[in-house]
Amino acid sequence: MTQYRSVFKDETKLDINYIPYRLPHRDKELRLLMEFFSFASLAPEKMAQRIMITGDVGTGKTVLSQRFGADITREANRRGISLRYVHVNCREYRGSLFLILYHIISIFHPNFPRRGYSAEELLRILLQILDEENTYIILTLDEFESLVEREGSEAVYKLTRLQEIRPNKPQRLSLICILRSLKIIEQLDASTRSTLQSNIISLEKYLKQQLETILNDRVLLAFKPLTVLEDTVSLTADLAFSEGGNARFGIELLWRSGKYADADNSDVVTPECVRKAVSSIYAVMRKNDLAFLSLHEKLFLLGVARFFRGSQRAYAALTEAEQAYAVVCEESDVQPRSHTQLWKYLQTLSTLGILQKKVSTTGSRGRSTLIYLPRITAYELEKELSILLEKGGA
Amino acid sequence: MNIEDVFSSRIRVKILKILAQVGELNVSEIARRLRVNYKTTNGHLKILEDEGILQHKVFGRIRLYRFNGHSLKAKAIQNLMEAWEHANKR
Repeated sequence: MTQYRSVFKDETKLDINYIPYRLPHRDKELRLLMEFFSFASLAPEKMAQRIMITGDVGTGKTVLSQRFGADITREANRRGISLRYVHVNCREYRGSLFLILYHIISIFHPNFPRRGYSAEELLRILLQILDEENTYIILTLDEFESLVEREGSEAVYKLTRLQEIRPNKPQRLSLICILRSLKIIEQLDASTRSTLQSNIISLEKYLKQQLETILNDRVLLAFKPLTVLEDTVSLTADLAFSEGGNARFGIELLWRSGKYADADNSDVVTPECVRKAVSSIYAVMRKNDLAFLSLHEKLFLLGVARFFRGSQRAYAALTEAEQAYAVVCEESDVQPRSHTQLWKYLQTLSTLGILQKKVSTTGSRGRSTLIYLPRITAYELEKELSILLEKGGA
Repeated sequence: MNIEDVFSSRIRVKILKILAQVGELNVSEIARRLRVNYKTTNGHLKILEDEGILQHKVFGRIRLYRFNGHSLKAKAIQNLMEAWEHANKR
């Protein structure tokens, strides 16, 4: 019986729900959030805060607010203040204020009856519970768009103007609204909008280097030492960057690549594992795209595929691809095309999304073009091209 | 009320058993689980509350019942229920 080996040390560190202690490239925003809520661990009854966090998919909105939630709760509890951080994904509750409020109440009273209440009554009951237990809540409404789309201004207004119906009482509920863009806010009426738009934290897309830092952090936490190649992380970061700087995509890809390495009984997560993982996420490249290529485009691509099959690298320099292409041409008994022509092929293949190119400025010899396979494994690509070339299909 | 009077009712014992299992419940839900009507359930809950074993909280139109955290009788009954369930599972 073979013993089960794994490249993972702790794969839960790559789970979507894992909240890392360190948030690379979001420390400034985290500090800003802590500043906005500094009252919460000193005199929470005196005020309530409303913050909006915006940014594209995978820019760290959710993890930023969860990290903040864990930190502020710990700090407040240390000072003897009963503060709870509640993170709700509005889409999960179909954007219904009733279901969201019911969920929060059921944290305090798990068997609270589900029927017979309006959202307003639930809001009043929630405040009653918070008053009785002398507790404060920071409520994060993730995917806030869902709530606005379903409930419109009314629900948001109710949440933001709570204190007006209970003057001179402690302020119990602060809000963090997470949304992709502020466009949806335009749907709200002016008075509701004005209660929300004072504090906005916008998260920019991660740059490639930033994605590499994030991925390297997770590699240290999730994988055994020396199991993930530097090129693997770099390729994953490139792919995550091309997905709009989506760190979540990169982290999931890393996990999937690890799974492919385990399935192959490999001790190392290679760039080929990343390519396998990507081709399992996207619909595999349409074979039609390959069939319509010219003979030399196919031969060039075959050279590239063989280069990656024979190495553990994620990137090939154009000169290396050219050499591999020359060998393929020799085998096929055809005259290789010129460097300029290959450059044109590269443009075409890159436009089709079969290959990707990037300019490398590292090293001592100035700029050079690097090629990588973004969504197909070298093995599959070689197989497909060999079939097409055998059919004589140029 | 004497202990034998409190435990003489099958419904009251069932109420205690339910609350020992789930923590707290509203009157209608207790009645539904007992398969008796609201009024009967309410009467038994009142007896247990008067004995200091249960307590309730009002939220709008509903009352949530649970064991009285400050009552020694409540603690003893909860322990009894737990030990009984545990022994039955063995």
